[in-house]
Amino acid sequence: MICNSVLTAKNKGTMTVYLKSGGKLREKLKPDVDQYTRKIEVEEGLSLREILNQFEIPVELIAFAFVDGRLERLDYFPEDGQVITLQPPVSGG
Amino acid sequence: MYGFAGQMLRINLKTGNISKQILSESFAKEWLGARGMVAKILYDEVPRDADPMGPKNKLVIAPGVLTGTFVGAGSKCGFGAISPATNSHADSSVGGHIGPELKFAGYDLIIFDDISPEPVFLFIEDDKVELRSAKHLWGKGSIDTEKQLKEELGEDFEIATIGPAGENGVVFACITHDFGRNAGRCGVGAVMGSKKIKAIAIKGTKSFPIYDLKSLTKQTEAIIQRTKPHPNMAPWQKYGTALFVGWSNDQASFPTRNFQSSYYDQWQTIDGERLVEECRVIDKACFGCWMNCGKYSRAKTRHGDVYIEGPEYETIALIGGSCAMTSIHDVTFANYLCDNLGMDTESGGSVVAFAMECYEKGIITKDDLDGHELRWGNIDDFEFIINKIAYQQGIGKVLAKGTKGAAEILGKDSIKFAMQQKGLESSGYESRWAPSMLLSFMTSDIGAHHNRSWSITVDLELGRDEIKGKAPVVVYLQHIRPIYDTLSICRLFWGELDVMPEEYVESLNYVTGWHTTEDELLKTSEKIWNLTRAHFLKRNGGPGRIHDIPPARYYEEPILDGPAKGKVLSLEKINAMLDEYYEARGWDKNGNPTEELLLDLGMKAVVDDLKEINLLGKPLPDGIPKVRGQKLKPKAM
Ligand code: SF4
Repeated sequence: MICNSVLTAKNKGTMTVYLKSGGKLREKLKPDVDQYTRKIEVEEGLSLREILNQFEIPVELIAFAFVDGRLERLDYFPEDGQVITLQPPVSGG
Repeated sequence: MYGFAGQMLRINLKTGNISKQILSESFAKEWLGARGMVAKILYDEVPRDADPMGPKNKLVIAPGVLTGTFVGAGSKCGFGAISPATNSHADSSVGGHIGPELKFAGYDLIIFDDISPEPVFLFIEDDKVELRSAKHLWGKGSIDTEKQLKEELGEDFEIATIGPAGENGVVFACITHDFGRNAGRCGVGAVMGSKKIKAIAIKGTKSFPIYDLKSLTKQTEAIIQRTKPHPNMAPWQKYGTALFVGWSNDQASFPTRNFQSSYYDQWQTIDGERLVEECRVIDKACFGCWMNCGKYSRAKTRHGDVYIEGPEYETIALIGGSCAMTSIHDVTFANYLCDNLGMDTESGGSVVAFAMECYEKGIITKDDLDGHELRWGNIDDFEFIINKIAYQQGIGKVLAKGTKGAAEILGKDSIKFAMQQKGLESSGYESRWAPSMLLSFMTSDIGAHHNRSWSITVDLELGRDEIKGKAPVVVYLQHIRPIYDTLSICRLFWGELDVMPEEYVESLNYVTGWHTTEDELLKTSEKIWNLTRAHFLKRNGGPGRIHDIPPARYYEEPILDGPAKGKVLSLEKINAMLDEYYEARGWDKNGNPTEELLLDLGMKAVVDDLKEINLLGKPLPDGIPKVRGQKLKPKAM
């Protein structure tokens, strides 16, 4: 299964990533750009799961990430400047 | 009276008599609409021994107090009847535009009684209300009928129809509206068909009074501005509910091959991404909605292209995963077939998946299928069998009774994998490794429907294997979630866009001029829950617990593969969850509501009814809990 695969950092350097979320996760995210968005500096080459773990954002409560208009999983490797929307599973359709 | 059109229609189909009556304010205030009004009417007016498909059953159409307002999104309408699938109270909600249109025509409620001697459709154009012949429509598909009626009457009529499945008494027949939105669950379409009502066509040009329009406008404008940039808006607009396929699969809750597994290795062939890239034509919205989560889609089929709204997550789960499809076009086509034939895609998918497993196990053979096969993932086989079901031909006649009814006929232990509760097929979440979700299905008043309580996140928060401490949260969800169906608004604004219950209470008070509180709304919801429970016991006997035990697959068969491989619950654990649940509800060990609880909810008549049939719960040694239901305190906060 993709999201459970062992993921490792690809290379070093830092990048800026914008994390966005509403709902319960928003509190944990501590937005600082606007009411939903937080700007973070992270090591380059980290997967989204690793980034979230670093910031103690509970990955089990994230259904998926929405990046540049596409659904991505937690094994996604964000790039510098990307806005990543974290979607919690809330309503069940 | 504010918030309501103020009138109701009683229609006797046998005599053709249509009577307009004033909607009583106290009734409206007590039951609010949709699910609440349906519950009260069915409880009071349908005799205990009435055959769901007979003249004494009623079909109720009820929008709610917020339907037709611009509170986000006042689009919903309830359809209710005694269900032929569960033999008890059923309400099924549909979005689109028909609920608002009914209120704009001047009516809050329609109650159909008896059976028409010949096929009819109900025509409403404001004050003009008529039963018209539907002989020329009988036999046609739901989508085809909607199209034809719009051509005959005008594009601005809102139409709800049944298809052949409803005409032929398939117990999971639905009522279809707006080319693919359905009052899908519990077979309300079969009841409509039994009454020989082919369709309802409504055009309304009036309005209804709002108590404080200025404040409501200001509040709604602020909510629109706040929610437009909400992070969940864009993904929901792009994918609709289909976006949860991958997540559900990751969580090992995606029903696969009739719930034999909870992980589908082919999920990427049928997920939201595939839907949007290959099938989506345009986005659709219900009345008053600024989220437009509906996807109007085109499927390529061997017959040429077909168009339908959908498929939504539940359809993808139960047709896609549970029947093991490997093409989003096939899932979309199957969605179209179910809709046009007039069948719920959730139950329809589940029944076909059940039949496929029966075929795999040799319980159904080629001899039963006119030499055909019933292979996992085969769209031609799906099309063959779903038509047989809709027209009640051959083995289709058995499957038209739903998984429970069919298993009772087919025998050979097939009841163990008839994935239903109380006769209603389970929504699209495999829950052997999500005990609170299973508890939600087990205890749902209308059968295993996720609309009543969706609690996988509770399992994620409190531990997937943990069974303790979840029941009070399920009770809370069973009160808060259905309140949206009762007010008749789309709950996705709450779930996805953080429009909070207290904001809805404020809206409700602006609409009506009442001084309602959130606690009062929750209590109304609890009251409805206990009324429908009592109704179930009255019609199906007791004790309540026997109706809450799930199919044996949940406690006898470990999940075959995937991340939840080997997971299974024991009957002991299932009963322990029920113990905790009954206690949290103020019911006795048998799962019967107690006198103390019913009196606390102001339901003396129900106490007397349950006493009469010996199903009133025994008094609890420490009395009932003061607060029933408990909000989850999420880890993420
Ligand atoms: S969010 Fe979707 S289901 Fe809800 S009102 Fe809007 S279009 Fe309809």
